[in-house]
Amino acid sequence: MAVVAPAAEEGSPVLSVENVDVRFGGIQALKGVSLYVRMGEICGLIGPNGAGKTTLFNCVTRLSTVTAGTIRLHGQTIETLPPRQIIRMGIARTFQNLGIYAGMTVLENVMLGAHHLSGGRFVDALMRPRRSRQREQEIEHRCRDILADLSLEDVADVAAGSLPYATQKRMEIARALASRPTLLLLDEPAGGLTHGEVTEFGALVSRVREAYGVTVVLIEHHMGLVMSLCDRVEVFHLGQNLASGRPEEVRANPAVIDAYLGRSR
Amino acid sequence: MNGTRMFQSAPAVLVASVALCLPVLAPDFMLFEFSIAVSYGIAILGLNLLLGFSGQICLAQGALFGIGAYTTAIFNVNFGMDPIVTLPFAAIVTSLIGVLIGLPALRLQGLQLAIVTFGVASAFPQLLLKMDSITGGVTGLAIDQPMAPRWFPGSQELWLYGLSLICAAASVFMLSRLLRGDTGRLLRALRDNPLVAESLGVNLTKGRLAAFAASSALAGLGGGLFCILNGFISPQSFLPMKSIDILIGGIVGGITSMAGAFIGAVFIVFVPGWTTAINPALGGLIYGLCLIAMMMVARQGIAGLPIGRGLQALKHLFNKKGLSRVSGAVPGQLGGE
Ligand SMILES: Nc1ncnc2c1ncn2[C@@H]1O[C@H](COP(=O)(O)OP(=O)(O)OP(=O)(O)O)[C@@H](O)[C@H]1O
Ligand SMILES: [Mg+2]
Repeated sequence: MAVVAPAAEEGSPVLSVENVDVRFGGIQALKGVSLYVRMGEICGLIGPNGAGKTTLFNCVTRLSTVTAGTIRLHGQTIETLPPRQIIRMGIARTFQNLGIYAGMTVLENVMLGAHHLSGGRFVDALMRPRRSRQREQEIEHRCRDILADLSLEDVADVAAGSLPYATQKRMEIARALASRPTLLLLDEPAGGLTHGEVTEFGALVSRVREAYGVTVVLIEHHMGLVMSLCDRVEVFHLGQNLASGRPEEVRANPAVIDAYLGRSR
Repeated sequence: MNGTRMFQSAPAVLVASVALCLPVLAPDFMLFEFSIAVSYGIAILGLNLLLGFSGQICLAQGALFGIGAYTTAIFNVNFGMDPIVTLPFAAIVTSLIGVLIGLPALRLQGLQLAIVTFGVASAFPQLLLKMDSITGGVTGLAIDQPMAPRWFPGSQELWLYGLSLICAAASVFMLSRLLRGDTGRLLRALRDNPLVAESLGVNLTKGRLAAFAASSALAGLGGGLFCILNGFISPQSFLPMKSIDILIGGIVGGITSMAGAFIGAVFIVFVPGWTTAINPALGGLIYGLCLIAMMMVARQGIAGLPIGRGLQALKHLFNKKGLSRVSGAVPGQLGGE
């Protein structure tokens, strides 16, 4: 199903993905997929397992390479940038199966999120310890604020690997926020949460959007969360766009119902 | 584990105290051997950074150690430079060559990198022989050993031991600057998960080469010091096995512990001699069994042994009583990485 580029009055797209193909050997993971994400919205990205949702995130963050199509952030093409430039462009993500450093403390993990802002200065670390320490303190201060914001201040100095899964997921969001993103890509952030935690988590995401002024793309299987939280939902199926629209429209769409019922999960 | 905490840990206090008490406890000839161990310890510190923190293996550390030694010798013999003054040059020259050796590391990791770097270690002695116009070939080079000044009350051995400790302290000081803060985190990040590190904006190329540069600088400094201590060097001192010895020292001491680097150095300098003393015919066998036993008993190296943990527990007790600064972070080693 064709996706129409949003009209100008609906706000300029932060992220526009146009006709993207991705092939892994014999598998065509994405076929002519498009996605437009407007400034400030929470855009849900749903679809049965293997639909290509994570692959799309990987393309945007340059962990996978598109075989055709373009990806633009604020109108600038990014599909050929080196992976490490993506976070500098203002795109931060979380990983479906966690991309945390289990052996580091929560604070260290989150401070890594701010690495791209002023990090990697080996000569300064050796020769200008005072300046390095000052920079370190500023970043630590900001990261502790973010931790407090996400109710993680009590575990700041605990090794990330020893925390419950839900807390690790929250920490990953804190790390993404530490990078000062404009676009936040969350890959199944509510996976493994209990029912009560999911509600709480939804509140957290909307609060984060307000407080940090981020645009959010949310991959999620938890339909209740998607329906209550998202401004707009995009549905992928078998590597293609299936439907898009407001949550209630998408939920009533027979093609979407078929796609989900057709695949036992 | 945390880089700064490692610096404050109990094994560090223990090793530093023993090092300072040695002049009283050990006879002069032992002091000389301990000085040699310190020079290896500095090279092992480099390997700690490279292997322990950035996750890259280098089996050319002995050759880099040799490059440092030859830099000191050549600068002294050819330019009449004071050997002590040559030490920073030994570090810098070796660092540059280390970066060249590190270039393949950008494409190769793990076992392939081990083989490539061991190739360098194997070629090194031959190279020294071939370049005999500046290296003195098989006869080696003799330098003007720095003598203890008149005002110095102790022996020449004590003087050199003091010099070794100063070099070691400077190395530990500089290394701990690299291992704390952002640079330490980025090294551990690219070691534990390069893909995630890259998506966090870490420049893998720069990080890996920086680790090689710093690690090689330390190998070079250790080598320069080794040259000063011996007063004479030849290709015989830098056979490929030296790189393996340095790796063994690193692992046996504890590859992410600065104190462990020096414990490991003492191990590789003294234990082979002891095992030969036990039985001259079976020395190698006993040493081999020693190594096997070491790894069964202390997988994290000697610095990670329960003795260390016991002392750490003691320190926590003191911390609770407010006798020293509280470092905050309690988690300690969390298996895995
Ligand atoms: N690196 C890869 N190499 C080969 N095939 C891949 C790779 N990554 C993804 N695929 C394939 O691409 C398809 C889409 O996978 P993707 O992970 O994007 O799905 P998804 O929508 O995120 O599913 P889920 O809901 O299970 O996370 C799958 O068939 C998967 O096997
Ligand atoms: Mg997925």
